[in-house]
Amino acid sequence: MPLGTYKEAVSARSTEKRIQDVSQDGGIVSALLCYALDEGIIEGAVVAGTPDKNWRPVPTVVTSADEVIEAAGTKYSMSPTLSALKEATRQYGLEKVGVVTTPCQTQGLRKAQAYPFSRFVADKIKLIVGIYCMENFPMASLDTFATAKLGFDDLTDASKMDIGKGKFWLTKDGEDKGLAIKETHGYEQAGCNICNDYVAEWADVSTGSVGSPDGWSTVLTRTDAGSDVFSKAVDAGLIETKPMDDVKPGLPLLEKLAKGKKDKNKKERERRAKMGVKIPTIY
Amino acid sequence: MLVSNFLIEVTYLKDRVVISPTSRQEGHAELVMEVDDEGIVTKGMYLSITPVRGLEKMVLDKAPETAPVLCQRICGVCPIPHTLASAEAIDMALGIEIPKAAKLLRKATLAAHNINSAAIHHFLVAPDIVPDDSFAAAVDSVSEIRKNVQYVVDMIAGEGIHPSDIRVGGMARNITPFTKERLVERMTALRPKLEAHIELIKNWVLEAGLPKDLGVVNQPLLATDATYGTNEFDMDAFSEVLPEAWYDDPEIGTKACSVIPLINGTNVETGPRARMEKYQGFKDKGVIAQHVARADEMLKNYDACMEALDALDTSASARADYDPRGTGELGFGIIEGPRGTNAHMAQVKDGKTQFYSAIVPTTWNIPTMGPATEGFHHEYGPHVIRAYDPCLSCATHVMVVDDEDKSILKNEMVRI
Repeated sequence: MPLGTYKEAVSARSTEKRIQDVSQDGGIVSALLCYALDEGIIEGAVVAGTPDKNWRPVPTVVTSADEVIEAAGTKYSMSPTLSALKEATRQYGLEKVGVVTTPCQTQGLRKAQAYPFSRFVADKIKLIVGIYCMENFPMASLDTFATAKLGFDDLTDASKMDIGKGKFWLTKDGEDKGLAIKETHGYEQAGCNICNDYVAEWADVSTGSVGSPDGWSTVLTRTDAGSDVFSKAVDAGLIETKPMDDVKPGLPLLEKLAKGKKDKNKKERERRAKMGVKIPTIY
Repeated sequence: MLVSNFLIEVTYLKDRVVISPTSRQEGHAELVMEVDDEGIVTKGMYLSITPVRGLEKMVLDKAPETAPVLCQRICGVCPIPHTLASAEAIDMALGIEIPKAAKLLRKATLAAHNINSAAIHHFLVAPDIVPDDSFAAAVDSVSEIRKNVQYVVDMIAGEGIHPSDIRVGGMARNITPFTKERLVERMTALRPKLEAHIELIKNWVLEAGLPKDLGVVNQPLLATDATYGTNEFDMDAFSEVLPEAWYDDPEIGTKACSVIPLINGTNVETGPRARMEKYQGFKDKGVIAQHVARADEMLKNYDACMEALDALDTSASARADYDPRGTGELGFGIIEGPRGTNAHMAQVKDGKTQFYSAIVPTTWNIPTMGPATEGFHHEYGPHVIRAYDPCLSCATHVMVVDDEDKSILKNEMVRI
């Protein structure tokens, strides 16, 4: 099962204009967090906050819909999101916490919940929204793309960052400059090459653009908690859905990419294992 | 390790009763009582037999920020007072004036912790004072109080046991207005339960049948403040002697694992009763008075916690920028912990800790506790000891090097 265990797969998008205006795709992460906050399902959430001019994502604790929306959109470098969980459950005083995570962060969090080494932190996490992730770039790689590959003086000159149509895009003075994705290979963080999880298989609910048309997201509800909050947000009219069978390219593409990541990285795992390098357990 | 699982050995020599280790306290200690024909204690000696921790040596030649992180590991019973004393000592050694918000957060943290620690002590002495049919109710009451005050410590200082967020220069960060509100709400709900708990404990103590004058001593009091502590320490009045020079019995002198700190050449009494007498007009002395003072002080700490929270500006910075190189001057961190005055001292130069010393509450009390058993039947000895709520892990300060004769070959751990 390349997509892990899930209850339901649908194509969905936020019905709220103010989320649509700022969201990367269907605005599902923002819509779910806003709904969960408004309904008291969570008191706050830890998210990858909007980077400042240097594009470095900053883990941020949000406690209102406005703050969620301010932090909307994909970040293109690693956000050490889990590092802010302690702060969220301490000085922010949150008893019910949501968190937006990449697949690897989701695994870490589930381990923290399974093993008792994060006293009064992991047990306060009530909603994990996972995002699809093929790989992620360290800040030094983004700097390299900007300066060595795209001819910028500095990464901070870029006003916009995006990945789409097979390219990594930076915008400067209104002009888009693209770098073919295959040119970015080798610049991802090394751990991404042995990761088997594309679709945040251990999250409560996972989402990402792949499989759905532009402006929509593919949502996989996985746990009772995830399914519950998603269906209630749909019932409340905050999210509209379409069956996956009705959209193009649909679930087969998501399955293909998820399986592709597993297959490719299995080879890398085997290569490393042959050299005697320890490989993390796959669950 | 609150309750010792070790088999307690009570030895009746010709005219001596030895309890080793003394029970229902943290760490290991020995109570040696010389008794007359009727079993009345004529001479009491109390000594620590807990192995040395050596934290004061471990922090040397390291960055000053290391000290509070390591020194809180002296013990898990008093981690908050040790972290605070260490942070305050380093703050002073670096010449840092911490922000007002940080001081208030530290005060609220300590006050909550001291309530927690008094409640733990009530659990430890419950078998002595609580009637059998009320035991479960007593434990429930202790748990209820601890759960709430530890929540305050958790939220402000990061962890209830070893606080991660008390930092050199202040606190890791301020709390949010939401958290402040939540803490005040929770503490407000706790007040009637705390008042009821205090009444229960006091009544049980008064009805436990302990002799009225048991444990009365007239030693000078050591207390620097009603609740938090002031970083003023009179080094001229302070001296310390090795146990070999203090105890009359050479065998006990070499066995004892703590130095004897003195003020103006005399052993002192520190702790809740000392504070209550010095700052709150409390008059009584002895075992019953110590229990009553400890219970009453819970409410003083409750008020101190609420006052600090009330005065806290949650939008203010809680951490100062500082120069880590150090002033080269001796810095003091004097914290009024659950068991009394906890004094940490540090000197930092060229960004490294050059000197570190901790003189902790139970160390002050050790020379006073033994004689306090005198004049009553030896069966009351453990009651006298427990009234001080001794905590030995951090009190141990002498390095015994020679395995053969247990003599102290090196004592630089304690040199000022």
